Amino acid sequence: MQNVWLLATTDLSLNLLAARWQMAITLGAHIILAVFGVGMPVLLLAAEWRYLTTGDPLWKALAHRWSKVFAVLFAVGAVSGTVLSFELGLLWPTFMARFGPVIAFPFAMEGFAFFLEAIFVGIYLYGWNRLPGWAHWWCGIPIAISGVASAWFVVTVNAWMNTPRGFRLEDGVAVDIDPMLAMLNPSTGPQTAHMIVAAYMITGFMVASVYAWRLLRDPMSTYCRRAMLLGLTLGTAMTPIQFVVGDWIARRVADVQPVKLAAMEGQFQTEAGAPLRIGGLPDAVTRSTNYAIEIPGMLSWIAYGDRQAVVKGLDDFPRQNTPPVAVVHVAFQLMVGIGTLLLLLSLYVLMTSVRSRRMPDSRTFLRLLILAGPLSLVALEAGWVVTEVGRQPWVVQDIARTADMVTSAPYVGWMLVVTIAIYSVILGGTIAVLRILARAPLEDKRHAA
Amino acid sequence: MQPESILLCVMFLALTAYAILGGADFGAGVWEVNTALQANEKQRRLLFSAIGPVWEANHVWLIFILVATFGAFPTAFAAICQALWLPLVLAMTGIVFRGVGFAFRSYSGGEVRQQLAWEAVFAIGSTAAPFFLGVSIGALASGKLAVSRDGRFEGDYLTGWISPLSLFTGFFVVGMCAYLSAVFLTREASQLGDRELVRLWRRRALATGFAVGALALAGIFFIAANAPLVWDGFRLRSWPLVGASVVTGFLSLVSLVVQRYRSAALAAATAVAAVIWGWAIAQYPYIVPPLISIEDAKAPTNILWLMIATVGLGALLVLPSLAYLLYLFKARHTET
Repeated sequence: MQNVWLLATTDLSLNLLAARWQMAITLGAHIILAVFGVGMPVLLLAAEWRYLTTGDPLWKALAHRWSKVFAVLFAVGAVSGTVLSFELGLLWPTFMARFGPVIAFPFAMEGFAFFLEAIFVGIYLYGWNRLPGWAHWWCGIPIAISGVASAWFVVTVNAWMNTPRGFRLEDGVAVDIDPMLAMLNPSTGPQTAHMIVAAYMITGFMVASVYAWRLLRDPMSTYCRRAMLLGLTLGTAMTPIQFVVGDWIARRVADVQPVKLAAMEGQFQTEAGAPLRIGGLPDAVTRSTNYAIEIPGMLSWIAYGDRQAVVKGLDDFPRQNTPPVAVVHVAFQLMVGIGTLLLLLSLYVLMTSVRSRRMPDSRTFLRLLILAGPLSLVALEAGWVVTEVGRQPWVVQDIARTADMVTSAPYVGWMLVVTIAIYSVILGGTIAVLRILARAPLEDKRHAA
Repeated sequence: MQPESILLCVMFLALTAYAILGGADFGAGVWEVNTALQANEKQRRLLFSAIGPVWEANHVWLIFILVATFGAFPTAFAAICQALWLPLVLAMTGIVFRGVGFAFRSYSGGEVRQQLAWEAVFAIGSTAAPFFLGVSIGALASGKLAVSRDGRFEGDYLTGWISPLSLFTGFFVVGMCAYLSAVFLTREASQLGDRELVRLWRRRALATGFAVGALALAGIFFIAANAPLVWDGFRLRSWPLVGASVVTGFLSLVSLVVQRYRSAALAAATAVAAVIWGWAIAQYPYIVPPLISIEDAKAPTNILWLMIATVGLGALLVLPSLAYLLYLFKARHTET
């Protein structure tokens, strides 16, 4: 209780802490919902497409059930997205006043994509009995497209914060703005690709996880089997792609945000032939990363394609301009570690399905698959921490400090407390409603067994 | 026409759409607060099936207005967000609970107590959101927010937004939503051919119609007494729109009496549009009167033109889709 009271003050330094935590919580929640908003429509459309081509009512039951899950997640995602657009002004008014016009174009485009999505979500969800089969299916296509478009436009804004382009500063305010140059900055390509592939990958593994768990209890259920395989197919197909994209984004970060790369890799001193550190805990006091497995020259090779290339260390940058290295390094290790495990899983699935012409379904495999979903969510959050904390203390890299952009309104701490309470209620409600949906019997019971 | 004026027009068009379409959705929740205890299952079903397919789309107008404000008038956006942070947070909370309340309620069939709880959340959220959005508009129109020309707020963060006009506008907007919703639901009930529901909603529409009409007339005095700048605007420029609002509001009541429900819905929507445009013209060219005009707050010209082009292209995609949605779920269908 004491701490809560402490946050309710006009002290600006505490405002910054409270505002950053509020963004972390609300964005951290929204990113999960957004991922399902991008990924679920694809699975929905696949299931409904199978129904329309085979006429098997079990596929329709699956699509229908998933459309309800999607409806709940989309509604919660829409309100949590609304919270974010309010927060931009409520928490960071100075940032919006100075840079709002630079990022307005992608936000406006995202607004229209969201508009289309909301319209067709209404048509799709309430149109099951109003529209004939294929017409209904086609009304799902704009949902899938605008979901990807929304993700793309929003992530371009984050990319711009990492590598700001397309404007000049005059008294701290952006002038001579070229919105296209700002949107298509050096981070845009890899960052948007990384996010969108992640969305499909995580949706696939989460769905596979849920139905793997149900298959363990009910191994004969064709319904659960198909659902699991559909999710697994999406996740397995996306994971190798994500590795290629991940390599792309790492090289780009090395080029355009060397300080973030140094934090990710726990690289304190500038050195030629820098090693790749697996695991380890950076110590900001002794300026070294301990307990790591080091592969000599590997970091130089990954980042610049040359085992002897020079990798800049954190100590080459003024101390007040570097991010908190331990958080960034550990989060990065977590993301890459989980990504590697998922890649191994995907390769195993690919090999088994090529060799024996069927997807693996042993009980051991199902148990491993149950872990894959939640782990992919952890990787998602960890990746988000890498890009956000890795950019600190800047909100716009090398241009604007986060601390200078925060609101001077008091009670930000109270807002944080209320936000945590509200999001807890929403989380509890979402879980409760999804459980009700999971328990409900299928419409077509003959095929459910 | 200058780009900032064009964009301001577009924003008020979006606000009009939000007030009419989103307002009717909020109104359904306002009625849910007032009638939850008496309503039977059939009455509820009309209410929820009416807003189910459309509320998400109707909500996006608000997002559009937010994005257009910070893109086109960044200083005004920063000023508004600081001065009105508390009513905006409360409105946002209402919007959040309205949305999750509706979704959770819709998909927790079978669990009666849980469903009722989410229904209550939906109802309270639906009432709080228009109230605090109305409060924010009233606080802006009063011209009494202590905001400097460069967008800094120098007033009291806790109480700076409270004024007779802001509170009045909050209540007025809630009443307006309830009226729109009652009129629209009368029309939908008559499309379903349910005489009992038509009678119920017609009676409610007439009662709220008279109450909101009286409130609107009282509003003229609130503005005259509390918002000198906007009052001058109303007196000198936008009085024809005030007249139009009175006439169409009255026409909607007459249409209800003679059971022409489509005309009633159109007239009620027109009355709301006239109020909003009356306010827009009265306050022009100020966004945060009396200091911040669109000239002071505007973004660079190339950004403004780009946003206008974006809106044009976006409208080409969104408006036909929206028309299809409304046609599919709101037009009279001769299906079984």
